[in-house]
Amino acid sequence: MYRYASFLLIVTCLFQSPAAMAIPPVTSVEHALGEATIAGHPDRVVSLYQGATDTAVALGIEPIGVVESWTEKPMYHYLRNDIQNVTYLGLETQPDLERIAWLSPDLIIGARNRHRTIYPLLDRIAPTVIPGDVYDFKALLTMMAKATGRTARGEELLTRWQERVEDFRTRIRQKLGEQWPQEVAILSFRADHARIYYGGFARSVLDELGFTAPASHRQESWGIKLTSQESIPAMDAEAVFIFMEDDPAVQRTFNTWSSHPLWKNLKAVRQNDVYQVDPVTWNMGAGIIAANRMLDELYQHYDLHQPEHQGCPRC
Amino acid sequence: MSRTLILRSRKDRWSIKLNTRVLVVTGVLAVLLAVSSVLALTSGSHPTSVLEVLGTLTAPNQSELALIILEIRLPRILMAILVGAALGSAGMILQGLVRNPLASPDVIGITSGASAAAVLFLWLGGVTGTSLLLAPVAMGGAFVVALGITALAWQRGISPARLVLVGVGLAAGLTAVTTLLLVLSPDATAMNAYIWLTGSLYASQWHDVTALAPWLMVCWPLALIKLRHLDAQSMGEDMALGLGSALQGHRLLFLVLAVALAGSAVAYAGAVGFIGLIAPHMARRLVNSGHTGLLPIAALIGALILLYADWVGRVAFIPRDLPAGIFVAGIGAPFFVYLLYRLRRELG
Amino acid sequence: MLTTPPAKMLGTLLCLGLLLAATVSSLIFGHIPVSLAMLINSLTDYDPGSLEHLVIHSERFSRTVTSVVVGAGLAIAGALMQTLTRNPLASPGILGINAGAMFFVVVGATLFSLTSPSQLVWAAFIGAATAAVLVYFLGQEAGRGVSPVRTVLAGVAVTALFVSFAQGLLILNQDRFESILFWLAGSVSGRDLDAIAPLLPLFGGALILALLLSRQLNLLGLDDEVIRGLGLRVGQVRLLIGLVVIVLAGTSVAMAGLIGFVGLIVPHMARGLFGTDHRWLLPLSAIIGATLLLAADTLARLVIPPQEIPVGVMTALLGTPLFLHLARHVRKVS
Repeated sequence: MYRYASFLLIVTCLFQSPAAMAIPPVTSVEHALGEATIAGHPDRVVSLYQGATDTAVALGIEPIGVVESWTEKPMYHYLRNDIQNVTYLGLETQPDLERIAWLSPDLIIGARNRHRTIYPLLDRIAPTVIPGDVYDFKALLTMMAKATGRTARGEELLTRWQERVEDFRTRIRQKLGEQWPQEVAILSFRADHARIYYGGFARSVLDELGFTAPASHRQESWGIKLTSQESIPAMDAEAVFIFMEDDPAVQRTFNTWSSHPLWKNLKAVRQNDVYQVDPVTWNMGAGIIAANRMLDELYQHYDLHQPEHQGCPRC
Repeated sequence: MSRTLILRSRKDRWSIKLNTRVLVVTGVLAVLLAVSSVLALTSGSHPTSVLEVLGTLTAPNQSELALIILEIRLPRILMAILVGAALGSAGMILQGLVRNPLASPDVIGITSGASAAAVLFLWLGGVTGTSLLLAPVAMGGAFVVALGITALAWQRGISPARLVLVGVGLAAGLTAVTTLLLVLSPDATAMNAYIWLTGSLYASQWHDVTALAPWLMVCWPLALIKLRHLDAQSMGEDMALGLGSALQGHRLLFLVLAVALAGSAVAYAGAVGFIGLIAPHMARRLVNSGHTGLLPIAALIGALILLYADWVGRVAFIPRDLPAGIFVAGIGAPFFVYLLYRLRRELG
Repeated sequence: MLTTPPAKMLGTLLCLGLLLAATVSSLIFGHIPVSLAMLINSLTDYDPGSLEHLVIHSERFSRTVTSVVVGAGLAIAGALMQTLTRNPLASPGILGINAGAMFFVVVGATLFSLTSPSQLVWAAFIGAATAAVLVYFLGQEAGRGVSPVRTVLAGVAVTALFVSFAQGLLILNQDRFESILFWLAGSVSGRDLDAIAPLLPLFGGALILALLLSRQLNLLGLDDEVIRGLGLRVGQVRLLIGLVVIVLAGTSVAMAGLIGFVGLIVPHMARGLFGTDHRWLLPLSAIIGATLLLAADTLARLVIPPQEIPVGVMTALLGTPLFLHLARHVRKVS
């Protein structure tokens, strides 16, 4: 009796149409807080931090929900055109859980340093992926490409990035000759202090491009905050990149520090190699698009000729 | 004279004397709490009606609505109630112990101890951010500081005035440590820490409720039974000793209870201030009774304050979610100043 | 304790010597090494091209001056508060003045977008005054005037009030948060002396007034009736001293942010050595206060170079053990 039933079952299955037999592909993505099992190619994506928003757009996805940006609210200008019909979920630090749930997403991407506590809740709403390092935009791209089933596109973006990096390295070596590799420092000014960045997004991109850092900047921590102008010599390098907000208090601090005699003594200042750069792409975007834009800026500052971009309008 | 009700155990092991006014007030507050909770359950960034809420509560399913109500809102509301109640009762016990109407867990340094431990943990944890160990660490900090305060204030016994002063001193020192850690931390950690220091119930989940509840289940009955000794002490130390109360032993017990209640509450909700200070006073305005009767009322009032504060934080600035601690201060601080103004005339 | 005038003079000279040593240390130590010879050289034969001379003249000089002014101001304010409230544990930090200043600065920076140091300085000042008045009234006990423990607790309550409101504002404006953090932690570095200049005459005036009232201050420790019997206008004196305290503490906070414990500990040290006569107590509190803050600032620079520990944190770390020692020995207060 039972054998007959199972025989029937097998026969029935064999005669099912291929379409009905097709099971959507299940992807398993390992991430910093566990493993996410994702069915199919998610289209409804929620991004809970800046880098993920950037990467989603690069992959050709318009997220259904994002957290607000830190400046140029509610979303950075460079991404705004691609994020028109999106629901804003509040700040990165405490995103609105009810809205996330109501959006019924297929995939959520969060950051470990902010969303570790809400991870169990997020995972109940939708498969959630949490990259380990907020600054590693390439790992993020790979992870998101895999999770959204757009691995081809992801690889294309990475290859394109690699090509650009090689191109830059060749051209800058030609341009600077003996002075390459150049030692650079990354600084930032706030209303009541100045910062040196030892690690982070901008530093990792510069390292990849072949720039070096002063010996005292080669440390494990993210950087330091300086309150005394006496510490200006700690900032010294052959070239210096500075980013800061467009704010009168910040500007005032910068003016005070840059008119100090110790500042004028810096190598970079004497060689006139001080560049002010866009804080959004250097410090906040943290995704593949921001990385490409950062590279654009560097081509410009060093007055290098860029080859034509082919077929990659978003990067 | 108010009518009283006396409950006795068999063989007269323990007894509780309640006056009817206390019972009435407790009942009214409890009903208010229940109704408020249901209404709070219906509010949120996603609007839901009372019917939907009641429907989901009685027949839970797997929909998004159920997720919102049962996994996001309900644990948070329960936490608000439990934490507020714990802080209210801790404040009540401390004020009775120290015999000073201005004492509270924040003043005494319990909250600062928990804060310093929590911020230290967040700083050391660095990029890995907040984790499930934060609450136990904060609790540990509260206990260590309470131990420190007791040890430093102990000179042949605990003198209430000295306890307060030592507590104030330690609190100031610990705040300095916390500030130092905030200054040295990277931005994400500093903001996490700062939100924790203000007191927030965001992301409360069922595992938080089940971790906090046992502490309260143990402390409350113990407090209810023993609180009569505080009444005895308020009549003066000699009187208390004459009535057979073991003075120092009980003082120590009450300190431990207050620290356990406040410490566990702060461990899960961050450094919420004021509730421990105001709830007991509000309770005394409603009812004139001994400490035993006042405890449930202070607890209920504490729960109501935090429930409302968290409610406002959740819905007033959508989609932003503001820490309840801010609104507790918004309700509490002016009331407290008013209280000080009233108190100075009453004591004349 | 030194009781005879010659002994006191000797003691004073010793304190001045310590102050000088602290000043020199403040000018010498730091991220860029400077030797004593270089220091003397920079004063006698200033060379704008030399890095060390530049550092001394710009950075270190302004720090040293700020530390001396703020240290002296806080110490005197503390001594006056302790006399006025008859409470050995009164000080600007404990009595809510710091918190009031903090709150108003945060309000200024967030709600009114005040950014220039000179504007924020006035905000801090007004905040300090508001808090002082609030605590004064709340610390009264009906019929008995100022009650010691009530004042401390009122101060703690007012502190909590202002601090939590300030915290709320900072969380609502998270971008402003990092800009204020260092100010809140207390710092004497990089103070634009031009921004503080308008406050200095006020500060000086208050200082002189305090010293002039020394004799009257000595009498304030007695009962009110006795004082009136001696012909002193109690209310007037108290008001004047109150104003002096607000000016001194307010300007100190405005200049350097939240620095605690100096106003608390230094008067005790001065009292322990020189007695309670305000004619000695006030100037010596100023000297010891300045020395302490200079030492704290120098130390704060040396611990984790090139970063600095905020000086307010340093004074708290040094001051807490001393305070606890004091608190333990306070006898039962009513």
